[in-house]
Order: sequence, then C-alpha cells, then structure tokens
Amino acid sequence: MTEEEKQKIKEEESHLPESTAVRMLTPENSRFEETEGGMLNVTVDGYVFERVQVHASFPHSSPRRYISIRTKSNKEVGLIDSLDNFSREQSELLIRQMKIRYFSPNITKIINVKDESGYIHMAVQTDCGECRFTVRGGGGNVINPTENRYIITDVDGNRFIIPDVTKLSPKEYRMIDIYL
Amino acid sequence: MGKIPEEFLKSLSSRMEEGEKVLFYASADRDDSGFCDICLAFTGKSLWMAVGPKVDKKVFRGFVNRLHLPEIPESHDYEKYTYSVVSNSEVERLEVINLVSGGQLTRVSGGQSFAMCSFTNAKAKDVGTFVMLFNRMKENGELTEEDLADSGKNEFCPKCGMLYPDPNHPVCPRCLKKGAVMMRVLKMAAPYKWMMIAVYALTIGAALLSLLIPTVEGEILYDETLTPGGKFYGQIVFIVLLIVLCRFLLLAMNVASNMVNVSFSAKLVYRLKTTVFKAMQRLSLSFFMNKQTGTLMTRINSDASGVHYFLVDGLTYIVTNVVIVIGATVIMLIKDWQLMLLCYIPILVIVFYLKKKFKVLGKFNWRRFLRRSTLNSAISDSVRGTRVIKAFGREKNEVERFGKINSNFRDIETAFNKQISTIFPINALVINAGGIIIWAFGGAQILGGVIQFGTLMTFINYINMIYGPMASLSDFVNWWANCMTSAQRIFEIVDAPTDVVEPETPKDKDVMQGNISLKNVSFGYDINKYVLRHITLDIKAGSMVGIVGHSGAGKSTLVNLISRFYDVNEGSIEIDGINVKDYSFEYLRKNIGIVSQDVYVFMGSVAENIAYAKPGCSREEILNAAKIANAHDFIEKLPDGYDTVIGPGGHDLSGGEKQRLSIARAVLHNPRILILDEATASLDTETERMIQEGLEALIDGRTTIAIAHRLSTLRNADYIVVVDNGEIVEQGKHMELLQSKGEYFRQVQKQTEALKVAGV
Repeated sequence: MTEEEKQKIKEEESHLPESTAVRMLTPENSRFEETEGGMLNVTVDGYVFERVQVHASFPHSSPRRYISIRTKSNKEVGLIDSLDNFSREQSELLIRQMKIRYFSPNITKIINVKDESGYIHMAVQTDCGECRFTVRGGGGNVINPTENRYIITDVDGNRFIIPDVTKLSPKEYRMIDIYL
Repeated sequence: MGKIPEEFLKSLSSRMEEGEKVLFYASADRDDSGFCDICLAFTGKSLWMAVGPKVDKKVFRGFVNRLHLPEIPESHDYEKYTYSVVSNSEVERLEVINLVSGGQLTRVSGGQSFAMCSFTNAKAKDVGTFVMLFNRMKENGELTEEDLADSGKNEFCPKCGMLYPDPNHPVCPRCLKKGAVMMRVLKMAAPYKWMMIAVYALTIGAALLSLLIPTVEGEILYDETLTPGGKFYGQIVFIVLLIVLCRFLLLAMNVASNMVNVSFSAKLVYRLKTTVFKAMQRLSLSFFMNKQTGTLMTRINSDASGVHYFLVDGLTYIVTNVVIVIGATVIMLIKDWQLMLLCYIPILVIVFYLKKKFKVLGKFNWRRFLRRSTLNSAISDSVRGTRVIKAFGREKNEVERFGKINSNFRDIETAFNKQISTIFPINALVINAGGIIIWAFGGAQILGGVIQFGTLMTFINYINMIYGPMASLSDFVNWWANCMTSAQRIFEIVDAPTDVVEPETPKDKDVMQGNISLKNVSFGYDINKYVLRHITLDIKAGSMVGIVGHSGAGKSTLVNLISRFYDVNEGSIEIDGINVKDYSFEYLRKNIGIVSQDVYVFMGSVAENIAYAKPGCSREEILNAAKIANAHDFIEKLPDGYDTVIGPGGHDLSGGEKQRLSIARAVLHNPRILILDEATASLDTETERMIQEGLEALIDGRTTIAIAHRLSTLRNADYIVVVDNGEIVEQGKHMELLQSKGEYFRQVQKQTEALKVAGV
C-alpha cells in the first residue's frame, strides 16, 4: 500500500461515523455510482467513499434489508434499512454488487447423488447451468441457515444453495434427505 | 502456477508482439452472473485476459463421475474467446477482493480499481499465485526460480481421480482394497493376537463340534441305535453318553472362549480409545477449531465401542456361523444333494433381500451418528453455558432447543429401528416357508423309502443351524455397518493431516537467544482470506514488545504463528536467524511459553497443576514458582495447601487464582520467549495489579511479546506495535507513538476517557 493510499484511508476514516453509532444511509444523504472499473463509490453527505463493498446483514433471512456499506478496509460507512427505499436505478447498482459478493448457484433440480468413501458426489441443475461437485462427508458441509433453505459447501469451499427444499420432487428429496 | 494450454498459447501468440513470451499463467472461471472459462497471462510487457463464452455445464474439482451421467466434453475454441490486454506500465498492482465463496480479481491503475474477472474457490490458489507473482515482479522487477517453482502437491488419486482425504498421505480410500479397512481394524488387535487366536480357535472348535451333534442326535440315534439292524442297535446308554460328552465339551469350549474374550475385549477397548486420543493430541490446532466437543467425545467413546463390539461379538459370531454354514452344507450335500438344494431356495431370497437393506441401513446409521453427536453437543454446550443460560433466564428456551434436537434423534432412531424390525419378520417368514417345503419333500422321500426318519431329522437340525444365523443376519448387518462407520471415523482422525509438520532434521541450538524476526509474513485460515498481511517485525532478545489492536485485528494469530501452531502462507518467521519450521517441536515448546486468559486446569492437586510445565520437578521449584507468580499466599490459604485437588469436581479457583497458577507454570517452564496473550484481560484491577507483579518478575530477562487490551499494562514495554486489520499500522516506543498522535494515541485517549467516565 502506497503512502498516498494510506493517507487516503486516514482521510476516509475521519468521515466515518463513530464505531458505536449507526449511520443510516437514505436516498437523501447518499448516492451510489458505479465506476468505470465496475466498482461502487458512494457519496455520503458530500464525501466520496471509493470502492465500497455491499454486505447483507441477513443474506438468507432478509437479503433486501439492513445492507451494510463498508470501506475497503471493512469499516462501516452506513447501513441501508431497505433497498426498497432507494430508486430502482440505485438499488440495481447495489444488487449487482451483492450478486458478485454472494454468488452461489441456486439448485433447482437434483440429478444424481452418490456417496463414496467419505465423499458425496452431486450432480445438480442450477440457475447457472448443470453443476457437478463433491462434498466432504462427515457433517458440517450442509447447513440450513433458515427453515427449508440449505447451503451445501463443496471440497473447495464453493457454495451451492437449495433455496427451498420443499420445492424438490419426492424423488429428488430422497436422494439428498440423508445429508440434510 | 497453472499450466498454460497449448491451444490458448497458439491463439495468444498470434495476438502478441514478436518476441513476447508468457511468463506465468492462471485460469479463472466465472463472471458476475455465471460460469465461463477465463485465461490470464502475463508476458512481462502486457497483462492478457481471454474470456470464453458462458459455460452451461460445470464440473468442480474433486468430482468423480460415478453417477452414470454422460461425460461433459471439454472443448475450448480459444479463437472464440474475447481477448483484452493492458500494458504492464499501466497496472500498479493486482488485488483480490474476497467474496463469500471465491474472489474477484481487480487491477489497480492510476489509483483506481478495475474489476477483471471473478473466480470460484477451485481457482483461488491459481489466481492467488498469479497475483502474488505479478506484484512481486512489480516490486522486484524480476522473479526468481523459487518464485516460479510449482509447489502444488498431487491432491488427486491418479487412478480414479478422487481427492485424497489427506494431501500429505496420498492414499485413496476408493482404490484401497475393500478388505483393507477390516484388515486395519484387525491390526488394532495385533498386540493381543495370542488372546485373539485363542478366542477364534476355541470358537472354531466349538463350531466344528456343534456340527457333529445333529448327526449323533439324528441319524445315529434314530436310524442306527433305535432301528433294528442299525450299527449301534440297542446301545442306547453308549449313545446317550456320547451325546452328553459332546454337549459338555461344547459347553466347556464356549465358557473358555468367553473367559479369554472378556480379557481381550477390555484390553482392546483401552487400546482403541488411547489410539484415538493419542491421534487427537498429535493434530494441529486447526483440527480442533472446526469441531464441537460433543462430536469428539462421541468419537472417542462410541466409535471405540462400535469397533470393539464387532471384533469381540460380531466377528466370533461370523466365524462360528461361517464354519457351521459351510460344514452343514457339505454334510447335507453328501447325504442328499436334492434336499440340500431345496434348503437353499429361501437362503437366496434372504441374501438378495438383505443386500438391498444393507445399503439403506448404512445410510440410516450414519445419520443416527450425526444426530447423536448433535444431541451430545447440545448437552455439553448447555452444561458449559449454564451460568449464561441462568443469567438470561433462558432455561425454557434451552429445553425447547434440546427438545427439537432430541426429537430429531428420536425420529431417526425410530426410522432406523423400523428398518431393522421389518428385516426380522420377513427373514422368519421366508425361513418358515423353507422349513415347510423340506418337511413336505423329505416326508415324501421317507414314504417312498428313499431316506429314513433319522436322516430327515438330521437334515432338519442342520437346516435350523443354517437358518438360525440367516435369521439373525440382520444383527450381523447392523454390527458390520456400525463397525465400518466407526472404523472409518477412527481412521479419519488417525489419518488426519497435521497442518504443521515437524522437520526431519531439526536445526535446534543449544541455547535459544530469543531474537525473533518476521519477514513479510502473510497468513489466512482460509485460502485468500488473509488475517495477517505483509508483517515485518524484529524483536530483540530480552526485549518486551507490546502488541496493540482492536479485537480481530490479528494479534493472537501473530503469536500463534511465532509459536508455530500454524504455518505462515507467505514470508517467514525466524528465531535466532533460523526459520521456525526448521526447529523441532520439542525445542520450540521448551523455549516458548504462553500465558493466556484461558487457563487449562486439570483435575489434580495444585502442585501437579503447577508442575504440568516441568514434570518431575522438585517441591522447592514448585514453591519458588508459586512465590514468583504471587500465588503462594492464596495456595497456603487453601485447606490442603499445595495438595488441594482442583479442576472439575475439585476445589473451585477464581479467575485470578487460576491465572496466577498459569504464571507459576510459566515460571517453572522458564522459556526464553514468553507470550502474554491478554493474560490479565478478564480480571479486575486489584487482581490485575497482583498478577502484574508476578508477570514483571517473570518477564525479566526474557524476550516477551505481550498482547493487551489495557494499554496501561504495556507501560514497561520497550517497543509497541499497533496492528489493525491484519497489518502493522504503527510501531515505536510508547512516548514516540503518543507524540505522533496516530492510532495508538487514539486508543490511549479512548481508554483514558473511558476510565474518566467510570470514575477510575
């Protein structure tokens, strides 16, 4: 990190709210812009925070609410109560960044599952096409953050999501119910 | 470093300038919304990126196609890729933004970040190396051979493509012969082989003897003794005595076998539990960080029992029955082959049925284990958290939470037992049907004068001997399933890789001086998610360095790396000019002592707890250590002094008292390097003051690294390092840092204000 960048971070930090205070970002006090490089900047009360990141506080149970806007060094610029408070153009910018951050294929169909020597090989249809991956057996790699929603983590740590397990056909459910 | 595909190189060459050569390459695999193949190449002059069309079928690392699915062909027409190029002079550096899974590659040009592409975790290492090489080249202007060396281990089995469970031991569980797990289980019993041989010899002897009995009690009794013209006609007393002798011998053999078995089984359980516990002690800290206590407890207790039941009860049962089934079949084959074939009709039905059930049972059994572990964890978590539960008045919620987990366990237990309970009646039904067929067929043969009544009776007895084990084959299935699952889990721990490996030829010195040097150290618990970045720090022997920073800044990680609980990802840590990786564990542990806020107090006397650091030390040494640690006075107050039993079930010590014991341990340990990891963080000011005196006596003359939240405790530090977000943001002497009015000054100011508010 260059001295100039360190200086920039210090200056940026002086515009951050107190660590214990919550600054709510509203369409009135903040404006988001996508940079030429596909990054997101936010102007809050006239100060531009560059390359901010968009974190959902409740990515599974309430993905459109309590959105935390954070600096490159992971300090909170402010919190958005609901994406719906912002204009469509502004919320789309935020959703695009969230899609990059939370990218995980959503499983729409279970094609086949095989358990072998401590590994579970899965072939599934997702909203990003057919995926074939391997999960380490032994528990801990399939978790359900909210009722009926499951996150499956493969041997490399890639995530696959079953948005609603009840939407699977009985045959598909039988293939995976033992691991849930 | 990734291997560049020939076709891509050809396609790229036609676009590159003459004389331009690819120095290093990586591949990424996704854009913002889905998967695509992406090639990255650096030529020294330019940074190239080629993005392929969207991929609608993606095979991730580790996947082995055993699902009978059509293979996904890998065809790359690199001419159809979209190529983009940036001049090297335009790029300041490359960066990776960590995403929830995977990352995003960005380039920094003119102080601005530009998103290049994204990648899944499968490509994280590849892209991470690319970024590291690029930035290193930018900094140094060139790369060394060491930089470009491929350090990647072979992670996959070359035969079947499966991921090795332990990258340090390239053993593929699938390519391992099926009987290998069983052989390994048997090897566990090797130290008691004579006992085992005795058990099995007696078991086989008893089985062979029991094969004689139906012939004696059937054919010989009815056809040869009671029927006129028989070989032993009229010698009823002799035959009855023969029967009694056979029965008595059988009984004696079974009793002898059981007696040896009792001793054998106790020793085996002991060995199994010790093996698992010992294997767990060998493992690195990272193994325990990801596991719940309950799961580990289940592993030591239940898994050892699972293997034990099988070896002791299951295997003798199988051996007995295999001898009986084979023996009875051969005898029946000799006597009447047609009748024997009839006997086997129901057996084939049972075998076919059980084979199907076997698979289902295995799955249910695994699920049972997982839910039992969750249940155990819930109990142990709740017991440990009793104080908090009571403080918040959440007893009802805990009961509800437990009820839910308990009902999950009940459901799986019910489902499992339902499976078991269907097996038994179906088996019995088939067997009964078989018995009726034989009575009918055999009866017809007697009426036709083909066989005698005694022969049919002998057959019926043999059939019962064969069907008996078949009827309880479900038990065998159950035992086998339990044993294999347990054995697999035991071996999982025994084979678990130690992330931190001891050098084969350590470069230990006679005396450690205590000079510590961290050179450009970066570390992350997960790939690409660095907790520490580019830490460079020199600590002189005998000096005291304070490490300051917010929670989660990476302070504890830093000292964990110095103690070599983990290995650095980049850079190196040296003690007295030698990399810590080149020292033996014994040397490091002997010379590095840690006093942290979690004090491990085991059940034993105060003296034993202090002497934990130096087993076999004298009473004078213990007393002296306790004195220095300011612990002597409170120990003297205890009812049994140094002999007071503390730990679970014993006398309860306060946090400050435990802490002083741990300081006494450290005094006794007498390390050259002392790490104080928030040693006084959880104590009140008065207790802290008392401990501080002990600590000051301990620090004297040693290299000390002290992590502290309370900055006042670092007033004696020679040097202070401020860590924030994994980087050193400031370092210097206390006064220098105060004068520079940076992060340290801000933290001191905040604490002073807080103390004023508190009226301290």
